[in-house]
Amino acid sequence: MEAFLKLSSQSRGRDRMLRTIQYACTLLKYLLQNNSTQKELLKKLQNLESNMSTGRKLFRLGNMLDSIGGVQKALQLPNPEVRLLLVTSCLSRTLYFICDNLLWARSIGVINSINKEKWSLLATRFYFISLIMGLSRDIYELYQAMKQDVRGQQIQKKIGQHISEGPDVACIGVFRLEYFLILLYYSVKKNPPLLLDSMKNVFDLFIPMDRLDIYKTNSGVVGLCGLASSLFGILTILKPSLRLSP
Amino acid sequence: MDAWVRFSAQSQAKERIFRAAQYTCTLLGYTLQKNGANPDLVSKIKQLEAHMSLGRKLFRLGNSTDALEAAKRAIHLSDSILRFCITVSHLNRALYFACDNILWAGKAGVVSKLDQEKWSQRSFRYYLFALILNLSRDAYEISILMERDARGQKASYSGSPVRENGETILSCSRGSVGVGDLSLRIRAQLFLLIRILRCNPPLLLDLLKNICDIFIPLDKLGLYRTNPGFIGACGLASSVLSILTITYPWLKLKP
Repeated sequence: MEAFLKLSSQSRGRDRMLRTIQYACTLLKYLLQNNSTQKELLKKLQNLESNMSTGRKLFRLGNMLDSIGGVQKALQLPNPEVRLLLVTSCLSRTLYFICDNLLWARSIGVINSINKEKWSLLATRFYFISLIMGLSRDIYELYQAMKQDVRGQQIQKKIGQHISEGPDVACIGVFRLEYFLILLYYSVKKNPPLLLDSMKNVFDLFIPMDRLDIYKTNSGVVGLCGLASSLFGILTILKPSLRLSP
Repeated sequence: MDAWVRFSAQSQAKERIFRAAQYTCTLLGYTLQKNGANPDLVSKIKQLEAHMSLGRKLFRLGNSTDALEAAKRAIHLSDSILRFCITVSHLNRALYFACDNILWAGKAGVVSKLDQEKWSQRSFRYYLFALILNLSRDAYEISILMERDARGQKASYSGSPVRENGETILSCSRGSVGVGDLSLRIRAQLFLLIRILRCNPPLLLDLLKNICDIFIPLDKLGLYRTNPGFIGACGLASSVLSILTITYPWLKLKP
């Protein structure tokens, strides 16, 4: 109950809950689509999904300002690479929200002159760019963490174990891969916010990639990925220590 | 920018902004229609209003739980009248939100064959009861403060100058029953009320908010019909007052 109250008191928390339900509907619709006896349920799921999507667009009306605030904060970061990636990500997100707001205005009939399909694709492109920048930032942070850990004692112990087993030409390639994976595992284990953010971005990426035909999947995969990333988002709100900052 | 980000992060704050926008549309739509504006524009404003209303219903989906938690907290208040008013008000709000959620399910097509009119009337009834209890609480708080003030004045007058006939100025005002004295007493009470409300901004704001809000269910239930323009103005005013209490938490009446 407390978790629900904590989540529902924040705008982002409510949005994530509604997003979870929206993508759960997408997934359920895909699973039930071939079941002819569930036509009534399918119709209700479709209504629920579209209502959630439209409602969330309404409540995203102020998010453009939040993104601009994010850009201002990102400009003050000391690390130049992280600064560039986050500023680009926030700017893309701002442009995505502008397109999203115009699409909302079109959907309720306030503006009728804009081409819905064109602006929808534009919004998806900006969303895709912001996710790519977010993921690039995660990869950069991970690379920095691995560089720091490479001198760590546990890693040295594992390397020492392999050297003592005797060198072999065929083994060296496997050893290098295992070395990389061990380093990756320890770096990620020490940094749960980074892991969560990476996974959230990876799952989110499938949604615009499907829409833009970069990597066509199906509505089931989109629903599952959207559901997973929404649940990760809810986790970061309930436990702020799991949120990657800045 | 920081202030906006902090403000909009609270779900209640964002909902109040959209409430203000919704009632602005109501007021605007009525004003434009009365002044013979373009019917296309009036229709767009009405569509926007309906869309905001449905969106807000969606966003309010978890509010019953909040109201029940607030009722649970209010049970522990020491003052019995306050405890009763606040607890029952929150319970009525929880029922209002439950009806509101059912109405959303009907409008969104999730629940078919729902009697929208019946559930709408039901939800406004619970909303009205909650507002009546809030106003009762405000009246109780005012009466306590007026009593405290009167007791304080009596104590300060105990050393006041005595007239030739042995009466104090205070006892003078209580003695006679003429019409002139009655109107004097009413004026004195009114000035006392104004002074108390001026010294208690949270109470004043809460009172004004509840008074503005009460016209909405009174109109919808047919108890006191006004017009959409008046309803829009009241809704907008109460939303703005609500936004003030969120922006400046010291303006919120506690508990």
